Amino acid sequence: MGRYRKYASIARTSLEITFVYRAGFVLNMLGTIFYVVAMFYLWQTIFLGSPNALGGFTWPEMKAYLLVSFLLNSLMTWFAEWNMSMDIKEGRVATDLARPMDFQASRMATAFGPVPFEFSSALVVGAIVATVFGGIALPADPLHLVVFLFSAFLATLIKFGLVYCVSMTAFWTTGIDGIMVGRVAIQNIFSGALIPLVFFPDWLRAIAAVLPFQGMISTPALTYLGKMDGPTTALMICIQAVWAVGLILLGRLVWRGAVRAVTINGG
Amino acid sequence: MLFSAVIVQIAGFLFIWTIFQRIPTINGWSMWQVVMMYALIFVTEGVGSLFFEGTWRLSNLVYTGQFDQMLVRPLSPIVQVLANAVGFNGLGNIVTGLVLIVIGILNTPVQWTPGRLLMLVILVASAATIRVAINLGSAASAFWIKAPWSMVPMFVHQLGEFAKYPITIYSVAVQALIVIAVPFAFVSFFPTAFIFGVEAWSIQGLLTPLVAIYSVVLAVWLFRVGLRRYESSGH
Repeated sequence: MGRYRKYASIARTSLEITFVYRAGFVLNMLGTIFYVVAMFYLWQTIFLGSPNALGGFTWPEMKAYLLVSFLLNSLMTWFAEWNMSMDIKEGRVATDLARPMDFQASRMATAFGPVPFEFSSALVVGAIVATVFGGIALPADPLHLVVFLFSAFLATLIKFGLVYCVSMTAFWTTGIDGIMVGRVAIQNIFSGALIPLVFFPDWLRAIAAVLPFQGMISTPALTYLGKMDGPTTALMICIQAVWAVGLILLGRLVWRGAVRAVTINGG
Repeated sequence: MLFSAVIVQIAGFLFIWTIFQRIPTINGWSMWQVVMMYALIFVTEGVGSLFFEGTWRLSNLVYTGQFDQMLVRPLSPIVQVLANAVGFNGLGNIVTGLVLIVIGILNTPVQWTPGRLLMLVILVASAATIRVAINLGSAASAFWIKAPWSMVPMFVHQLGEFAKYPITIYSVAVQALIVIAVPFAFVSFFPTAFIFGVEAWSIQGLLTPLVAIYSVVLAVWLFRVGLRRYESSGH
């Protein structure tokens, strides 16, 4: 197991860095709360104003959906993405090239290190919001919770795979912030973070189905609520796994091409 | 950056549009009214970054000591901070936001007279002024927080999330927050009520220019108080 120890220590350091900058972390999280609270009020108005369940969701289920979405979006914040692309942009990647370890694996360790902290903080915040808004639907079956945790893990892998690929564009472009913002916007709409995909008209749902994003929010959230039957759940989780592996492999491919294109601060 | 602003707004529009495919109104507010609020938030954000991006860099200027230069020049440090940088990403927000506003106006039930059009221009200008004043006021936190970047402006900026939707959906506490404490409601909600001639809220919409003056006075005051504390970096 010796060869994995270096990655474990990278992950631990990354977590410690998050602790050092905890004020920034807390304010960042508080900032996303306004967004979550606004969404809660918006959906509350919509649900209380319509007599029937919308899109097959009851209001307690919708609340749970919104919080699962918040929880998953809180994992692996933009710091990971930002640092990765800045390392490339500012040339620190050169040091990484000289190190006896895999670049992608080391970045994965950096990105996953703070996840336990992010997860527990988001859980606390989510619990407070849930209490204020009168509770949420809990998984009907403990099995749903287990499947959900596995699905959430795959969702985080997909996120890493995607973020890694996007960061790689810093090899070719100097302005990464625009790409990051665009990625988040597309992801928010097609992952189901803003609105459950069942609300979409058919053509939009068809687009979402062939993209990797639905595995980031929609699939785990629906497993939490037990909204899909057994075979569908199995199929959706397989699709998640394929995207996770596919994106991580794509990242390796892009990396291989990218180091050849590397031009650091003037060639 | 130009392109990403367009993507963000299209995604935002898709979200609102999808909701209104299911229900006719939210608390009595129609789709185009909500789109108008949304668009006003983005246009004013764009104005803030295209012309006054400097507010976002104040904490860095203070931290690195570059702010000292501004104090010895014969021009108000506030003007220098505001004009310190240009954020081209703002252009994308302004253009797509304006497109949405124009489409929204074409969907209003009211009769457009020259006087009303003039009022529209005044309202949008006031909304943008309020936004820049909020940016400047929160950026002044840099004088208290001695770090390379301050999260306070971003935190206050996030309050704008509330103003993307009609304030009638919120509890009184949230309403007080965005009407009185940080007047984001005057950036989007009240101007929209006026533009669409919503009787119950139009009158308050006319207060927008006054709120703009109030916000500027408050922001300048905050900046001056902070400036008196300023003791250059390294102290």
